[in-house]
Amino acid sequence: MKRATRIPILGGAKAFVLHRPHANLTAIIRQLSAIGLSAIDCWPELPPEALGADFVFFDVDLGFDEQFPWAPGEAPIPIIALIGSEAPGRIEWALSHNADAQLLKPVGNSGVYSALLIARQSFAARRRLADEIAMLQARVAERQTIVRAVAALSSQGIDDERAYAQLRSLAMGWQVHLEEAARRVVAMTEKEGGIDQSHRA
Amino acid sequence: MKRRVEIGILYSRSGNYRLVSEACHRGTMQAVAAVNADPFSPIEFIPVERDPEGNADRYATLAEDILRNSGARHIIGGVTSWSRKEIIPALEKAGGTLWYACPYEGFEANEHVVYMHACPNQHLVPLLGHVIPLYGPNGFLTGSNYIWGWETNRVARDLIADASGSVLGERYLPLGETDVARLIHEIRAIRPNFILNNLIGPSSYAFFQAYAELSRQDDHFTPEHCPIISCNLTECELPAIGSAGNGHLSAGPYFHDASAKEVWLVGQPENGGSRPSSFQASAYASVKILACILAAGGDASPSELSAAFASSSFNTPFGTINIDPQTQHATLPVQIGRIVDNGFEKVSITRAVDPDPYLSRYDRSKVFGRRRLKVVS
Repeated sequence: MKRATRIPILGGAKAFVLHRPHANLTAIIRQLSAIGLSAIDCWPELPPEALGADFVFFDVDLGFDEQFPWAPGEAPIPIIALIGSEAPGRIEWALSHNADAQLLKPVGNSGVYSALLIARQSFAARRRLADEIAMLQARVAERQTIVRAVAALSSQGIDDERAYAQLRSLAMGWQVHLEEAARRVVAMTEKEGGIDQSHRA
Repeated sequence: MKRRVEIGILYSRSGNYRLVSEACHRGTMQAVAAVNADPFSPIEFIPVERDPEGNADRYATLAEDILRNSGARHIIGGVTSWSRKEIIPALEKAGGTLWYACPYEGFEANEHVVYMHACPNQHLVPLLGHVIPLYGPNGFLTGSNYIWGWETNRVARDLIADASGSVLGERYLPLGETDVARLIHEIRAIRPNFILNNLIGPSSYAFFQAYAELSRQDDHFTPEHCPIISCNLTECELPAIGSAGNGHLSAGPYFHDASAKEVWLVGQPENGGSRPSSFQASAYASVKILACILAAGGDASPSELSAAFASSSFNTPFGTINIDPQTQHATLPVQIGRIVDNGFEKVSITRAVDPDPYLSRYDRSKVFGRRRLKVVS
């Protein structure tokens, strides 16, 4: 089993709680303070400082998109949904914000600590995944470049298969992705009219 | 005319951890008697006692029974974390409060519990901070198979890593298990620098006996060279361990000093071979603090407790202490003791360590010094 290592240090972290004054808010602030976070409540709007916070708790029952200084689903920090009413429309709205964890209301004496740890981990996983997808998309977008590079290489009298193998060995030699190698080959071809000037004599 | 206040008492008088339970019970009853006999206290406690007999499943029902069928709103009780977690829902439902007089593994701060003994920054962290520089950073972790052992060892793994050490082995025994042969075999093969013992009751006593035998066969395993270190071992269990305990280490908020005259023990009869312990002291302190808060006139509801903790200090066997209103954990001294027969010789004392149940303020460089860079060649 892969173990999340280390004592989770949450001391000094900052959490915004977007919820109207209520016993639930008091319970959350109490738990956050006991855990060692500095907790700031706000309603109805999340101030821009929240962008620099470590966590945001937001109310699903009365929440709306304009409360946030980011577009729905694009929170740059871990966010935790505070769910009271389980009306499908409200759940749908919470889902549109990609909450990293949830806490059911009424909030009692526990739940905040596990929500913090789960939110932090799923946010990190979400971010890692998004980075990976962006990288893969960029690589997919280079398909045409690869075709052009293979064509440039095979124009020197080798077949496609060997040209592709040559591109791969260039990528290995340069220690870059295949797509980057292809970009370089295409750039060289466009600039100098060929990949290997010595053959043009 | 004193105000009569019922008080719940929920300690097992039998079972695996009976010696600890008895120590807590003794401290509780001693403080009840002291409050009742005090002409200056307006409170007379009426004990409402229930005995779960060491069965974890009985704590919740008996706590409910106390809260439903008596006027008691406060319960002094619970030894294991398992039992505390069983009691909490009953407290939340009825608005009751548990005064918990035992060390625990931290990561909890329930409004309905007052944590009157040490949490990890008051036991495990200073204990490893003391032991690792003296004996080495490589530990073997053992414990009884439930939350205390699991969570305490989990934190220990991180602390040992921070001290650039390794956890060489980790083994759990079922509650009450006394066959420790395999554990001893592993320790003998692995040869750690210390053993962190989170076993409880008979398992712990059997382990000390077998380890003493091991040290007779192999001088790597003497207490001077490879000690057993514990966060929950006190005087109340030493008679069950006997001379096998000598030289090993434990951390706690209090170790009894027979040469000092302690006010809270004046007039107390001797208790066989068992000296007063931090369990007894903590249960005693719990009842006295409760009496002190009730003397102001209210019923010490959770909100009144919080206000009282914010504004008062309390005289206890641990000295004058505060209780953090935020987490309801006590500020306590941290002592490290070496076992000498039926008592402890104090080898380190730190006064007034504030509780940090979530280890939010843990700083490895403060505990273990800056990590030395390894030379890479």
